[in-house]
Amino acid sequence: MSAAAQPANDSTTAAPLETRDSRLYARLLAFARPWRALFFTCLLLLPLASLVALIQPQLLQLAIDDHLVPRRWDGLPLLIAAFAGVTALNFALSFLQLYLMDLAGQRVLRELRCAVFDKLQRLQIGYFHRNPVGRIMTRLTNDVDALQEALSSGVVTIIGDIVTLAAITVILLVKSWQLALVTFLAVPLLLALSVLFRRLLREAYRALRAETARLNTSLQESVTGMSIIQLFAHERRSRQAYTDINDSYRRSAYAVIRWDASLYALVEMISSIAVAGIIWYGAGQALEDVVTLGVLVAFIEYVGRFFTPIRDLAQKYAVIQSAFASAERLFEILDSDETLPEDPQPLPLTELRHGIELRNVWFAYKGEQWILKDVSLHIKRGEKVALVGHTGAGKSTLIGLLTRLHDVQRGQILIDGHDIRRYRVEDLRRLFAVVLQDAFLFSGTLRENLTLRSPRVQPEDVAWGSQLVGLQRILDRYPDGLEHPIRERGANLSVGERQLVSFARALATRPQVLILDEATANVDTETEAVIQHATEAMLAQQTSVVIAHRLSTIQRADHIVVLHHGQVAEVGTHDSLLKAGGLYATLVRLHLHAEDHGDRQ
Amino acid sequence: MTPSPPSRARRILATLTRHAGTFSLGALFLILTNLLALQIPRLLGDAVQLLRDAETLGSAFDLDAIQTLALTITGCAVAAAVVRILSRIFVFNGGRLIEFELREELFAHLTTLDVSYFQQTSTGDLVSRLGNDILFIRAFYGFSLLNIVNTLVAFSIVLTQMVQVDPQLTLACLLPYPVFFLTMGLFTRALYQRTQDAQATLADLSARAQENIAGAAVVKAFGIQRQESEAFRDLSERYVHANLALARVRGALFPYMGLIPAMGTLLMLALGGQRVVEGHLDLGAFVTFSGYLVALAWPTAGIGWALMSWYRGTAAFDRVFQILDARPRIHDAPDAQPLPLGPDGRARGEITFDHVSLTYDDGTVALRDVHLTIRPGERVAIVGRTGAGKTTLLQLIPRLRDPSQGQLLLDGVPLQRISLASLRRRVATTPQDPFLFSTTVEENIRLGLLARDAEPGDAPPSRLSLDDAVRIAHLQDDLTALPEGLQTLVGERGVTLSGGQKQRVTIARAVLLDPDILLLDDALSSVDTRTERHILEELKTLMQGRTCILVTHRFNALELVDRIVVMDQGHLLEVGTHAELLALGGHYARMVERQRIEAELEDA
Repeated sequence: MSAAAQPANDSTTAAPLETRDSRLYARLLAFARPWRALFFTCLLLLPLASLVALIQPQLLQLAIDDHLVPRRWDGLPLLIAAFAGVTALNFALSFLQLYLMDLAGQRVLRELRCAVFDKLQRLQIGYFHRNPVGRIMTRLTNDVDALQEALSSGVVTIIGDIVTLAAITVILLVKSWQLALVTFLAVPLLLALSVLFRRLLREAYRALRAETARLNTSLQESVTGMSIIQLFAHERRSRQAYTDINDSYRRSAYAVIRWDASLYALVEMISSIAVAGIIWYGAGQALEDVVTLGVLVAFIEYVGRFFTPIRDLAQKYAVIQSAFASAERLFEILDSDETLPEDPQPLPLTELRHGIELRNVWFAYKGEQWILKDVSLHIKRGEKVALVGHTGAGKSTLIGLLTRLHDVQRGQILIDGHDIRRYRVEDLRRLFAVVLQDAFLFSGTLRENLTLRSPRVQPEDVAWGSQLVGLQRILDRYPDGLEHPIRERGANLSVGERQLVSFARALATRPQVLILDEATANVDTETEAVIQHATEAMLAQQTSVVIAHRLSTIQRADHIVVLHHGQVAEVGTHDSLLKAGGLYATLVRLHLHAEDHGDRQ
Repeated sequence: MTPSPPSRARRILATLTRHAGTFSLGALFLILTNLLALQIPRLLGDAVQLLRDAETLGSAFDLDAIQTLALTITGCAVAAAVVRILSRIFVFNGGRLIEFELREELFAHLTTLDVSYFQQTSTGDLVSRLGNDILFIRAFYGFSLLNIVNTLVAFSIVLTQMVQVDPQLTLACLLPYPVFFLTMGLFTRALYQRTQDAQATLADLSARAQENIAGAAVVKAFGIQRQESEAFRDLSERYVHANLALARVRGALFPYMGLIPAMGTLLMLALGGQRVVEGHLDLGAFVTFSGYLVALAWPTAGIGWALMSWYRGTAAFDRVFQILDARPRIHDAPDAQPLPLGPDGRARGEITFDHVSLTYDDGTVALRDVHLTIRPGERVAIVGRTGAGKTTLLQLIPRLRDPSQGQLLLDGVPLQRISLASLRRRVATTPQDPFLFSTTVEENIRLGLLARDAEPGDAPPSRLSLDDAVRIAHLQDDLTALPEGLQTLVGERGVTLSGGQKQRVTIARAVLLDPDILLLDDALSSVDTRTERHILEELKTLMQGRTCILVTHRFNALELVDRIVVMDQGHLLEVGTHAELLALGGHYARMVERQRIEAELEDA
């Protein structure tokens, strides 16, 4: 690490908690900017509501001193009416403040949620490989919820609490500074307790959250793999594993309950002891006529209102802490630099005019473990290129690079002579249609899976694509045809059917370049023949890159690129490569050998 | 055969009874808390009265008495704090314990449900029921109970004490409480309904996001990020509206709860004030009464919270019980016997499909009158196009599904009469979709063996070592390439294996069990042909004398099998050896012919 980088690094990792919190706060406020008028109104209403509430004990004091002690009725009805009025006003102000707060808060959270979602759309695919779906979902739901809870119950009301505390402090001091000091004796104790307990609670909540995540991940996995669990008679062990997690989850919950209950009860206790102190000390004062009975009663009322916010302060602090932790995790996603850098002034791209060129491309997922080493390749418009090689030769990676699922580390990929990073990612990807190994289907109807809800895909495109791949045979089985519901991940279709759908889906986008990645591996001979035939027709004028097992596909390619350990070993046509007698010839021989039913091996 | 499930109320009570000890202690401490805490308003009143008397009557002021009162208040406060902590710990821990048990029960139950159940129920739904609904049930037992008991106790203590001081005033002061309870009830109902709406919207939002994330590769490949973002934005907007509807109720509820103690003081001022002025009521009693009314505010509001978690809890109960009431269609018959084994501790492995048909719940016919006997130790390949029913046929053998008509026999015994555990212990399957758990490669391979070691039963030990399984599945090279070899974590939190690697891990897993019947459901589709051949040849040696059925789309393996079964649309079309079927000149011959022509084309 260079000396220059040191201080900058320190400020991000070793920043004191308060700095971190205030930075988070500033970022959250940035999201709130568009609704600052609303927030501002809330900020005004809040102390107003708090102050109005503090008039009540004052009225009680007047009632006692001026009416109850001297037993004078007159004027008391007026006081009662005033009390009623203050109560009503407090209600109205509180309602208004709470509602407006929610209104503003909901808007901010929506923005935040959408910002995270949008960011997820732009994150590179590697992010999704590293982070399980469950974890990302926790960000989008639980973490945003934690913020929501903080907004509706914590952050802003804490300002009201502080105003209340300050006001009561002043009121108490004015009424009787001696009694006030007696009351304030309890404050250091309270603060010490709340600091201690908020730390304990924070730890406990953190542990609980971690356990919750473990519990859910374990459950999700077991449900997904239940048939394996059953087939391998693994039920008892799976149950045991779940029980272990469930048990440590329960234990962490007990810690939360313990600290939470203690904090709540201890604050209540201190509040009562303070009242006892006021009686003890105030009695003497009352006798010496330093304070009146009314003041004493009002004092006790105020003390009750004094400690509740302090108690809640600690609880709200916990809510805010967990909200901050959540915000931090959300910002982590927002700050992730794993997005593809986008050119600020992209070149237009609607069709492939000339071709695609890979120029000395190097790529590694991690460090120096190169998956592709110095790969150069030319794909002209209309050409059909077959990628051949053993598993792990780098075929899938190469395809990922074309659509910028990843960016090359060295060298560049050019489309029509320009680096693909010069185009908008969206435009670039629209050029291609990819049939992935894993035919991922969404829940929804068959039609939605074929159009991917894209307005650009017209019904005739869907019909065309389905026709070509022979999806019709499957459609005919369903009375509701294209409206047939598809379950999560296409669970109600066979692997082959899923692949047919993903194939039709790719064709329906009318791509400029078609990319097939081992798409035919799981389809039976007959279905494969249908697809083969259909694609032939389309591939005739379409640029395409194919990773295929079938020799018939490879053979029809204009170029065959043989990848070996991340390098281009051979390029040529089927005939020329066979003649050359190199790697390809060996591959073909092996393939034929295996396909031929003989057991000569 | 399946008794109707017990009613909700019965179940709730049964759970409560089971934890009667914990909850009784919790309730006891709660009563003590209230008894102690509610002394304080009275002590305060006494103190005020002492002062008042000293002022008016000029009687000798008893500072000792005041100090005793102050000390008593302190004592009550400390004691109340202790029992309050205990009461909350007991009641809330009780709720947590119930949550724990319910999770255990649900998980255990889920492991008994069959494939068809999981096909009908989305993973997200199950996870949410075990995640969120259980929280509401916990709150039902913990929070709701705490509040109900607390309210009852607080009201009875306060009422007893108030009546002793001034019955008339007590009655007057209590007049608005029915209104409070009623309005709290109404608020709670509205709050509940709107919360439900908001939750439903959130569920839509989450489902949408979940799919988007799970399908990130497709979303990116098709460049539909913008549509996805817009759809998400719309759903977010709906969620905001649902939340705002909720906020209107919530915004009113909290201030309303603050209104209740204020109303108490107001009442005291109006009614009690007059009585004090008229001399019917002491100032001390006035202060005590005020204190009581304020103390009743929280228990009054608490009824609202109790109702809320009642509503939520009962709805959650219903959803959770739905899972618990789902009966596995496949389970041990009462007269189920262990699979009869030969003297070598093994099944012979004769499988008979006796006129088997199967129709799925959605009406799709998967198998039509399949009649077939697979001889002990026979190697059979099932071929046919996609959707022909090959996978379904295999699933019948370890009873992942049961036929709608007809039956299967293993070594002459109907499958229904064989206990599931003993059946599955002798049958090993590699499914079409290789599924690995997010643990080490080794644990994934040893999955079945680990389970068997835990419940040895009557199976002979596997003749194979982990190394053998790795070798047969051709995993050794892959393992050396993995960062930590067999100890490498796979799946969600580890290395992502390629499709072929995953398939081979599942093969190693099945082989390691040294089963009497091995089922390979297109288990080598992502493996290159050369490796496939190696694996099949290894298997041929290993499976000598064991029954082996493999579904395949590749014909290069077919000379390694004894018989070939050709299926289409659930029908069994042809059965025979490679030569017989060729001679028959039917479906199989045509398929082979097609591949031959393909090969010729390639040679050309």
